[in-house]
Amino acid sequence: MGQNDLTRVLVIDDEAPIRLLCRVNLEAEGMAVLEAPDGPSGLGLAREERPDIVLLDVMMPGLDGWRVAEELLLDERTNEIPIIFLTARAEFRDRARGLDIGGVDYVTKPFNPLELAPLVRELLERIDRGERDELRGEKLAELRSLMDTE
Amino acid sequence: MIRTIELLGTLLAGVARAWETGGAAAFALALGLAGGIVLRRRGQHGADAGRQARERELDSLRRVAAELARTQDVESLARTLLDEIAGLFRVGFVGLAFVSEDGREASGYLARARGRDVDWWREARVDLEREPSGIASAVFEAAAFTVYDVSSSSRISSRLAEAVGAKSAAYVPLLVDERVIAVISVATTDEHRAFSADDLALMQTLASEAAVALERTRTAIALADALTRERLLASITRQLRTELDLETALRAAVEEIGHALGASRCVVHVEDEAVGSRVAVEWHEPQVAAAGESTRLPLAAKAVAEQRPVAFLAGATHDADAEDLVELARLGVEAAVAVPLAAFEGTNGFLVVHRSAARSWSQGDLALLEAVAAEIGLAVRLGRLLAENRERLAQQSALLRAAQVLSGELELGAVLQRLADQLAELLDADAADCYLLDPDAGVLRCVAVHGFDPSLLGFEFPAARGLAGLAIREGRALIESDYVEIPDPVPHPAYDGFTDVIAAPMRWSEDVQGVLGVGRRGGRRFRARDADVLEAFAGLASLALRNAETYTHSSRQARIQRGFYRIASVLGQSLSRPATLEAVAQAATEALGGACAAVLASTAGRLEAAGAYELPDDLAELLGASLDEREGAIVRTAGHGRIVASPTLADDERVPAGWRAAAAEHGYRALLSVPVVAPRGADGGLVLVFFAEERSFTEDDLELARHLADATRGALERSELFEAERSARGLAQQLTRTGRLLTSELDPAAVLDEVVQQAPELVNAEAGAIRLLVGDELVVTAADGRGAEAALGSRSPASGWLSGDVLQSASPVALPDAGSDERLRALDPMLADGNVAFLGVPVAGAEGAPAGVLAVYSSLPRAWREEEVEALRALAASTSAALSNAELYQRVALERERSVAILANIADGIVAVDRDGEVVLWNEAAERITGVPAPVALGRTPAEVLKRNLESEDGTPGDRLVPIMRGREEVWLSVTEAVMRDPTGAVSGRIFAFRDISGDRLVEQVKSDFVSTVSHELRTPLTSIYGFAETLLRQDVMFGEEERKTFLGYIASESQRLTSIVDTLLNVARLDTGDLQVNLAETDVRDVVGQVVAAASEAGTNGHRFVVELPEEPLPARADPEKLRQVFSILLDNALKYSPEGGTVTIGALRKADAVEVSVSDEGIGIPQADQEQIFRKFYRGSDAEVRAGADGTGLGLFIARGLVTAMGGRIWVNSREGEGSRFAFELPVGSA
Repeated sequence: MGQNDLTRVLVIDDEAPIRLLCRVNLEAEGMAVLEAPDGPSGLGLAREERPDIVLLDVMMPGLDGWRVAEELLLDERTNEIPIIFLTARAEFRDRARGLDIGGVDYVTKPFNPLELAPLVRELLERIDRGERDELRGEKLAELRSLMDTE
Repeated sequence: MIRTIELLGTLLAGVARAWETGGAAAFALALGLAGGIVLRRRGQHGADAGRQARERELDSLRRVAAELARTQDVESLARTLLDEIAGLFRVGFVGLAFVSEDGREASGYLARARGRDVDWWREARVDLEREPSGIASAVFEAAAFTVYDVSSSSRISSRLAEAVGAKSAAYVPLLVDERVIAVISVATTDEHRAFSADDLALMQTLASEAAVALERTRTAIALADALTRERLLASITRQLRTELDLETALRAAVEEIGHALGASRCVVHVEDEAVGSRVAVEWHEPQVAAAGESTRLPLAAKAVAEQRPVAFLAGATHDADAEDLVELARLGVEAAVAVPLAAFEGTNGFLVVHRSAARSWSQGDLALLEAVAAEIGLAVRLGRLLAENRERLAQQSALLRAAQVLSGELELGAVLQRLADQLAELLDADAADCYLLDPDAGVLRCVAVHGFDPSLLGFEFPAARGLAGLAIREGRALIESDYVEIPDPVPHPAYDGFTDVIAAPMRWSEDVQGVLGVGRRGGRRFRARDADVLEAFAGLASLALRNAETYTHSSRQARIQRGFYRIASVLGQSLSRPATLEAVAQAATEALGGACAAVLASTAGRLEAAGAYELPDDLAELLGASLDEREGAIVRTAGHGRIVASPTLADDERVPAGWRAAAAEHGYRALLSVPVVAPRGADGGLVLVFFAEERSFTEDDLELARHLADATRGALERSELFEAERSARGLAQQLTRTGRLLTSELDPAAVLDEVVQQAPELVNAEAGAIRLLVGDELVVTAADGRGAEAALGSRSPASGWLSGDVLQSASPVALPDAGSDERLRALDPMLADGNVAFLGVPVAGAEGAPAGVLAVYSSLPRAWREEEVEALRALAASTSAALSNAELYQRVALERERSVAILANIADGIVAVDRDGEVVLWNEAAERITGVPAPVALGRTPAEVLKRNLESEDGTPGDRLVPIMRGREEVWLSVTEAVMRDPTGAVSGRIFAFRDISGDRLVEQVKSDFVSTVSHELRTPLTSIYGFAETLLRQDVMFGEEERKTFLGYIASESQRLTSIVDTLLNVARLDTGDLQVNLAETDVRDVVGQVVAAASEAGTNGHRFVVELPEEPLPARADPEKLRQVFSILLDNALKYSPEGGTVTIGALRKADAVEVSVSDEGIGIPQADQEQIFRKFYRGSDAEVRAGADGTGLGLFIARGLVTAMGGRIWVNSREGEGSRFAFELPVGSA
C-alpha cells in the first residue's frame, strides 16, 4: 500500500446509523469506506476488496463479530488485514476476547467518530513498521492494567 | 522179478545169435550154463536129420528167447514155451502146472492142445500128497520121466489123464534153486510114444530156459490169488461191518464167496442161543436147487464140533461120513467145505461152500473161507454188542429219566409212580409195583403200581411174605422164574398169573424202606441183568424216599440259609439302623418260615416297633402302641434274653391279649419271640415272628432263632457304626449350615432364635432353649418346640440343678430321662411341659466366662450319643461367637444409624466415595440437590451418576464450582472435598460436601447479562446520537443540507429509541415494585393489532409474510390500549426476531366466552420445552437464543409482557416446538360492549 493510495476501510455493523457515522468521518479524512450490514456480506467484501483495515461490530444478529473475525483470520486472503472491534460491551472480558482472537484494537461505543481516522492511520503506520505484535501486546497490557485497577 | 525176465531174455537172445553166426564153440560156450545136452545129441544123429532137428531146436530156442525178450506177460511166455514143446515133439497136449509153496498142491496154469488153450486145466488142482499123479512124481523126484502107457500107470492121475485123453506122457519138472516150482506135462493123445532120454533132455533144457521166468509167474499167480482173496475178504468185511442188518450183510457175503470160489452154493448159518436168534442165508447158482434152511448140511456139524474146516472132494480122501455122502450126492455136490464160524459164548454157526465140479479146495480157498468165517463171527458178535449196548443205553436213559424224576418231582407218591412206570417200560414187564415198609406195623404198603388196578394202592401185607419178604431178608434183588410156585405168595389176586418176577428191596444204608417189584405173565424170562436194573431203581426209589423225607427239612434249611444269606448280605454292607432292622425282620421271617415278623427295639427302657416284614399295618400299629402297657411276660423276656415260643398263640397268656386278637384276625396261629441283644447292651430288642399255622418249635428252630439273634447283633453293631458315621457327617453338615446362618445373622435376638431352632434339628431332638446368665439367675431368652412358650422368660437359680449344673461345671449334662424326676420337672418348664430327655451345654460369653446354657429336649426318653453332645457343644461355641459378633455389629450399626441421621439432617449434600471412587454415602441433601436418589447413586461413581466429576482435577482443596444437570436444569454446585488416606498414604476415600448455588449464580449471571445487554441497548443509540452530534460539530468538513438532515434525523430517532428503552426499564422497575399503573378501558383489539402490524410491515422485515386473521366485528376487550400495544409489539418483535429465516407470521385475534385471545405464530426456531417456563422470567433469554438469533434484546420483553397482561387481568402463554416455531397468545377480559 503506497502513501498515495487511499486508505480503504471496511465497516461491518448492523446499525445503519453507525455505518453512516463511520463513513462520513473517515471519508472526511481522505479514506475510502466500504460498508457491510452483517457478517456474511462483510466477509465477502473483505475477500473481494482486500481493505486495508476492518471496523467490526461485535453484537450482530446471525454471524456475530467474534465469528467474523475468526473467519477473516483463518482465510489467507484476509488474515493480514488488521481488525478493530467496535463494541458496546463494556466488560473487560469482551475486550480481551477481541484481542485474543487476533484484533489489533477495540473501540468502545459510544465513541468519538473524529478519533476514528487518526486511530486507523496510527495503527496502519505501526503495522507497516512491523509492530503488529507489539501493538497487540501493548493493548493486552493496557487491558490487564485496567482490569487490575478495577 | 520183471528185471529177471529181461536179463534172461537178453541172455537167450545172445545165445541165439551166437548159435547162428559164431559156430558150435561159441554156442557151447553160450550154453555153458544150460549144460551140453544138445551138442551131445547132435553128435549121435545123421548130418541132415541132425541139421534139421538142430534147426528146429534152434528155432524153438530162438522163439522162446525172443518171447522172453519181447514179453513181460507170463502167460504168453508159457504159451510160447508149451507151443514150442508141442511143435518140437509133435504131441497133442502140453500143460503147465505150478506147485504150491508148501509143495502140497499143484494148480493147472496153462495147457495147449492142438494150438488151443485147454480151459479146464486152469481149474485143475492136484493134491500132491494124497492124489497119485505124474505131476506129483515129477515134483517128488525132481526129475523128468516118461510113461509109455498112461492108462496102466498107477503114478498117473486117472482123472487128469482121462480129461487130457493121454496115451503116453512125459513130465518135466521146472527147477529153480533145486526146488520144483512147476511141472510140464507132455502127452500124446493119438498114439503111444516112447519119449527118448534125449527128448526128455531137450524138454528139460527148454523147461530150464523158462524156469526162472515161470517161477516168477507162479509167485505172481499166488500173489494175484491172495490179492483177489484179500479183495474179496475186504469187500465182505466191509459189508459185514457197515451193514447193520446181519442178514443183509451175510446175503451179500455168500454171493460173493460163491462167485469167487466158483461154487455152486454157499450157505451161512448163525445161531445165537443167548439171544435166541437164528440166521440162515443161502446163495446158489441158478441151475442148482436151494439146499433149504432146515436141511442138515453135510460136514457142518463136524466142522462146528471140531472147530476146524472140513473139506470134501469127490474121488479124494475126505472126512465125510456115509450120511454126508448121501446128502452131498443128493445136492449134486462134487466138492464141499464147511468152516465153523469163530466160536464164542452161546454162538453156533458155520459157512458151507459147495461145488458142482470136483475141484479141490486150495489153501487160499480155505484161508479165505476161514477169514470170512471169522469176519462173520465178528459181525455177529458186533451185532450182539450193539444190541446189548442199545439195551444198556435204554436202561441208562431210563435210570437217568428216573433220576430226573427224583430231582424234578418233590412229591413222593408221584416220584414212586414215575419210577414204577419207567421200570415197567424198561424191563418190558407186564406190571410193576412199589411197597413201602411200615416198620412199626411190620407190613408193606402199596404206594405205586403199574399194570395193576389202582385199587391195589394202599394194600398191605406182612413184610415177611412173598418174594418181597425174601428179598428184604436177603438184602438183594431176587429173580423168581417160577412165581406161581413160591411158597408164601402175596395174598392178593392181582398177583395171580405171574410167571417171572423180580423183587428188590429199597434200602437207605442198612434200613429197608420198601420193595420194588416187576413181573411178567409168561413170555421172556428175566435175567440177572434185569435184576441189576431193578436194584438200581430200588436205589433211586430209596433216594427218592430219603429226599422226600428230608424235603421239608431241606426246604426249611434252604429258607434258613436264605435268611442267613440275607443277614449276611445285610452285614456285608453298612445299612442304616432302620434298614438293618427291616432286614432282620425279613431274615427272621424267611429263616423260620414265618408269615411275618416285627422287630421291637428297646430305647431307654421302652420297646418301639422299629422294623417289620410283611407285617399287616394294624398289627404293626398295635405292636407299637401297646408297648407302654408293658403287659405280657413276652415283653419282659426281651430284657432276659430268653426265646419264648408260642406254638399255640391264641392260648398263650404270656402274649398281650391285644396282640393275640390281632394276630388271630390275620390268621396267625403261632409266635416266636427272639430277644436281640444290642451292641454294648444298649438298645436291646425283640424279634417277633408270626406263623400262619400252629406249630411246635423244634430244637432246630430255636437254634436258628439263636443264630438269628447273634447275626442281628452283628448287623446292629455294623449299623451302629454306620449310623454313627452318618450322623457324624450329618452333624458336621448341619453345624456348617448353622454356623453359616449364625455368622450372617447380626441381631443377637435373632441369633438366639436361630440357635434354639437349629439345635434340636442338629441332634434329632424336639425342643431347645437358651438360658442366659442375668445376675445370679438363668433366664430363658429363647426357646423353641414343646414348652417354649411357658419357658420363655422364666428364671431359675444359676446354682440350681440341670442348667445350673451345666453353667457351674461348664460341661455338658446329658439325661436320657430327666422328665421322670419330679424335682427336675419343677425346675424346668420345658420338662414340666412333657419333655423328658435333657441335654445341656454351656454357652461361653466374652473371654470364655460362662454366659448361659443351651439345652435340647426330647419328649421320649433317649440316650444322647457322644457325637451329639459334641455337636451341640460346637453349636454352643458358634452361638457364643455369633452373639459377640451380633452385639458388636449392633453397636456399630447404632453408631452408623446415628451418623446417618446426622448426615440426613445436614443441608449440604454429603457424598462419600471409597477407594474405588464408588459412592458409599449419599445423604438426603445430596438427593435433593442432585435429584438422584441414594439407591441409584450408591455403588456407582459420581461421574457416572452426575456426568460430572466431583474430584478436583489438580487436587487443590477448597471450594470449586461444578455445574451439573438436574434433569434438564443446570445446577451449580459449590463443592468442597476431603480426601481420606489410609496409613500408607493411599487414597482410601473422599468426602464431598456441596451446596446448590444455582440460585445465587443465576441471579448474578442474569444481572451480568442484563447489564451487558442494557449497556449495549443503551450504548447503540447513544453512539449514534453522540457520534452525529460530534460529526455535525466538525469544523473541517462542510456537510450539505441533505446530510445534515439525515444526521439530525438519526439523532432524533435514536433518542426516541433510547427513551423507549428507558421506559421499558422503568416498566420493569414498576413491575418489580408493583407500581405499574394500567388504565383499563373498552378497547377494540382489532385496532391495536392492525396498527402494530401495519407499522412492522412498514418498517420492512427480512422476508416475513404476515397473515392477519381478525373478526369482522369489533373485538372489545377491557384493556389499557397503550399496554396492549406494548404487549403485542413485544410478541410480534419476538416472532420476527426468532424466525431469522423469514416465513409466515400469523396474527390472530378472536373472541372467546368471556375473553379476547390474541396470538402471534411464527415458523422460527421455536423454544425448547425446558425453556418454555423460564422465558417469562426477568432477564431470561433462550439458552441458545443468543447464539442462534444474535444478542439483540434485553431479555425483558416477555417479562414485561406477562407483567402487563397480568396487570390487565389476563394471562399469557406459549406453545412451541423447537425447530418448528412458536405461538404466543394472551387473553384479556372481554369488554362489556
